This record gives sequence, C-alpha cells and structure tokens, in this order.
Amino acid sequence: MVWFLALSALRQRVLRTFLTALGIAVAVGSMVIFLSLGEGLRQAFVGQIGSIGPDLQVSFGPFNASASLTSLPELPLEYVERLNAESETYGITDITPLLFHPRGGFTPGSSFLFQGLPPSKDAGAIYYKYEVLEGRTLTETDDTHKVAVIGEQVAQRNRLELGEVLRLNQSSIFEIVGIAKSEGGLIDNAILVPLKPLQEAIGIEDRVTFLALDLSEPGAAAATAERLGNDFPELGFQTRGDVLGVVEEGIRITDVVRLGISAIALIVGAIAVANTMVMSVIERTREFGVVRAMGAKPNFLFRLVLTEAVVLSIVGAFFGVIIGRLGMIVVNNIANDLIGLDVAALTVRLVVFAIAVAIAMGLVSGLLPAFRAARIPIAVAMARE
Amino acid sequence: MTRIPTEHATSLKAKGLGKRYGGASGEVVALKDFSHTFMAGTLSVIMGPSGSGKSTLLNLLAGLDTPTEGSVTVGDQDLTTLAETARADLRLNTFGFVFQSFNLITVLSALQNVAFPMGLASVSKTEREAKAKTLLGRFGLGERLNHLPHKLSGGERQRVSLARALANDPAVIFADEPTGNLDSKSGRIVLDALRGVADEGRTVIVVTHDPAVTEIADTLIRLKDGQKDSS
Repeated sequence: MVWFLALSALRQRVLRTFLTALGIAVAVGSMVIFLSLGEGLRQAFVGQIGSIGPDLQVSFGPFNASASLTSLPELPLEYVERLNAESETYGITDITPLLFHPRGGFTPGSSFLFQGLPPSKDAGAIYYKYEVLEGRTLTETDDTHKVAVIGEQVAQRNRLELGEVLRLNQSSIFEIVGIAKSEGGLIDNAILVPLKPLQEAIGIEDRVTFLALDLSEPGAAAATAERLGNDFPELGFQTRGDVLGVVEEGIRITDVVRLGISAIALIVGAIAVANTMVMSVIERTREFGVVRAMGAKPNFLFRLVLTEAVVLSIVGAFFGVIIGRLGMIVVNNIANDLIGLDVAALTVRLVVFAIAVAIAMGLVSGLLPAFRAARIPIAVAMARE
Repeated sequence: MTRIPTEHATSLKAKGLGKRYGGASGEVVALKDFSHTFMAGTLSVIMGPSGSGKSTLLNLLAGLDTPTEGSVTVGDQDLTTLAETARADLRLNTFGFVFQSFNLITVLSALQNVAFPMGLASVSKTEREAKAKTLLGRFGLGERLNHLPHKLSGGERQRVSLARALANDPAVIFADEPTGNLDSKSGRIVLDALRGVADEGRTVIVVTHDPAVTEIADTLIRLKDGQKDSS
C-alpha cells in the first residue's frame, strides 16, 4: 500500500518529481565524477605497480612518495656496493639505481618527469609492456650520452619526434632517440634517460632516489626487508605492497578531500528533497487527515513520506550515476590529452557507494517531513482547505 | 421510524461530552455536556448554524479528536480512553466516513479509492478489488471504475466516497455535509443511499445544514452554541 501510494503520488506530480530527481542526479553525478578520480588512480597504480617493479625498493630513510619525487635525491650510490657485498646473505640478484627528477611547468602537459637508470638495464623490468615504437631503446653505449626514450603520449602532447631535443635546464639537452609504445599507463609519460648524464645535469653525481633490488626469493621480500632494515637502519626497504600501501594512503587522503567537496553538492541535493517533501506534506495535509480518519496509523504516513523521499533519491542516484559516467568520459578525454592517463574510473563499489549515499540522503531529508506528516492532528488536517 | 438493527448493530453513546479550546484570547467552549445514544439501524441528523459545534461533535464521536470531558462508547469500548493506534483500528474496522468535499485520494482511481481502506486492513488484493467493484456497482458506478476523481462529477465522487466508507463493512457511518457540494438530484441519490445504509442496520450520523436531509432522518438533533437545542 505504502509503495503503491508513494509511486502514484510521485507520478501525479511529475514535473516536481523530475526536477527534484534532477537535482539529486546532479549532486550524485558530481560526487561520482569526483570519487571516480580516486578509483582511476587506484586502478592505474595497482594495475601497473602491483604487477611490475622491483622485489624491494630502497630509499634513504622511510619511504615518502611525494617527497621522493619533489626533493633532491638523498640515497648515496655507495649503497650499491655495500648491498652488493651482502648480496649472497640476502639473496639479492640485481641492484638498479634509479633517479627521478621532475621538471615543472605551468600545465601538466609541460611538466616532465625525467627518470634516470643505467642504460644497460632493461626498462621492461620496470615498465609494464615496455616496447619501442620508433627509434631505439637505451643501450650500454649511451652511458655518458644525453639521449632519451620518451613515452608516446609525451611525444604526441608536445609534438616531439625522433632527433628533437628535451631541455632539462640551460646546459642540459637530451636528444630523443626512441619513442615507447603507448600502453595507457605510466610508460606513456616516461622520459627515460641514462643515469649519469641526469646526475650531472642536476649536479648530484653520487646520489640517487631509489635502489631497485631483485631477489632470488621474491616471495620472501617482506622478511628480507625486515632483515635488511636491521642491518641498514638508515635506509628504508619497501616491498611492492608497501609502495602500493603508501600510494593507497595518498589516494585515500584525496578521497576525503574529494568527498568533502562532493558533500556540498549532496547537501544541496538533500535540501531539494527535503523542500519537495515539506511542500508535498503541506499540500496534502487534508488528504493525510482523510487517510488517518479512515484508519491509517501515524506510522503509515511516516513510511509513506519517507518512501517517497527514498524513491526520489534512488531515481536521482540512477541518473546521477549516468551523469557521472558521462562526466568521467569527458574528464578522461582531457586527462588523456594532458597526461596520457585515464584518471577516472567507475567501479562497482563506487556505484554502490553513490546509491547508498543517495538512499541515506533521501532518508535523512525525508525524516523531518515524515515526522510532520505523522504528527498532524486529524481534526486540524481535515479542517485545512 | 424505528429500524430493526441487523448484523451491523452497534450503538454509539455520548455522555457528558465537551470540548474546550484554550487560546490567547481566553477559553472557547465548542461543545458542552452533550449526551445522546445513537441507535444501530437509525439515521441521526445533527443540524445547527455555523459555530454551533456540529463539526466538533462529529470529530469527537468519530475519534478524530479527543474531548476535554465526557466519554464516547462504541459497543463496550470507551473511545476516549483508547490509545491513538487503538482508535485508528476502531476507525478502520468500525467507522466509515463521507465528507462534504468527497476527499478522495486524487492519485487513485475510483476502484483504488474504494479498495484503499481494505488495503489498510490487510485484505488481499483480489478480495479488495472484487469488493470495491461490487460496492461501486451498487452505487451505479460500475462503468467508472478506473476514472480518477477529477474525471468524475460531484455526485459520482460522493457515491465513490460512500462506497469507500462501506469498504470495511463498518457498523457506524459518519457523514459531514454529504450533500453540501451537490445539486439537488445528486444530493437525493446520496441521501437515498445513506438511508439504505442505515436500513442495513448500521448507525448513520449526518451533520448538515441541508433541511432536505431531515426527510430521511430517524432522529434530529439541533445544536446551538455548543449545546443541544431543546427548544
């Protein structure tokens, strides 16, 4: 009875129902777009860092993802030798020094992250599906040469071709010798250069950002990290899980910020529902009085108004998810142009979360009008014109 | 014009009934010391000028409002001592209402309006639809089952309202100005229907300004200034 009456009432006031649902849809849609950014980043990192990368990553001190990329490298290269000397003890099969150096710009498109590594090392060990599309990859002979292999997206975005140059600073120019095939991931935005020329370019020749360790027993990476941590307390040793954990924590912080921004839209949506329901209760006061006179209990009207509010919210949520999905496509198109990554993703858990939030919004915003409807004295309601 | 009560027989007894409203400008006495027994199978008409307390009396008798003094007894139940949920149950199963403005639920068809009280009483969908059709057929609305209220004439709406009042087979019917918004012909049809309902053994209480209603009354009660007018 409640559902039937609620749906009939919403159908009869079709314009109001539509406008209110539209308000909710916009609120939920904006929330979906904001939160889908986090989901997209998660997928990008989990999909790529989780399946590749070293068994252990070594940092100087505890790992801090953002500081590692924005501050000067701190890890002395001497640790390559020291860890090599202990390689048998810890089952270390390979050590790769890595240097990250950002060159900032005013837009994402003009910002680059130079990544230095020994040119003899296989970049495929670091990047998922690394494959050279044009030109060549880095080789041992590039050890002292200022050459670069760039991602396809970097090339397209900046209209760079083989033989052209990238300027890191006034005295450091890197010639593009290869373009890596776009795989829709981190390699798309990579600028791979030989380690030594990059160290010279930034004036720090004895330090790197990380060391990448390969182990003979990758499954024992956590235990090895603990043992290494005891012997090298000044260093930080991170497994892939640790790195993902730090990334996840960072994304989670941005989740809170984005949810906070979304909350504003949600509050506006909730006010729209509450306003519609209050108006509806006022208009139908006499009708509610009649229903009560016929024998309906106060709880019936309470459930009726609350059901209408929740149905409005669910309808709004449904269209909100569609709006969010369309918005996400736009965001991803822009992000792909700028940084070559799908930064937004619509996951099942995001859809479930959006609908749950909308239902909660409907319940909260419908409570006050529902109480009001249930508490109107019958005789007063019946006397209302 | 005494009628013989049938299986619906339930008398309704008001004793020392009164209602006072407190306000900033002082206390207003809407009804004072009203006592009367409305017998089963009779049609009682309550008349009086505006402000005489007719609507207040109807609200108190029907359990839509609570008196400040006195009692209303239906069968062996004192309405004034019941909790709101119990009063709601009593209204659902024992009372039926017909209003001046029809007060049909605008979003429901004639059939759905009549079936609605049965839904509140948890009657199955099949059963309530069958009974609603029967009731509407009885009042000549068999061809108007699926019409929304705004597609019906005033007289048709009032007959739907009467059919709805009878949905849960109540013992007592309250009618508040049932002919107030009707032309004389439609009003006559509704009054005949109310008379028929009383003849079935139900207690029918009609509040009205319409002198024509007295023609079908078994009992006439006049109110003046919130009291029975015995002049």
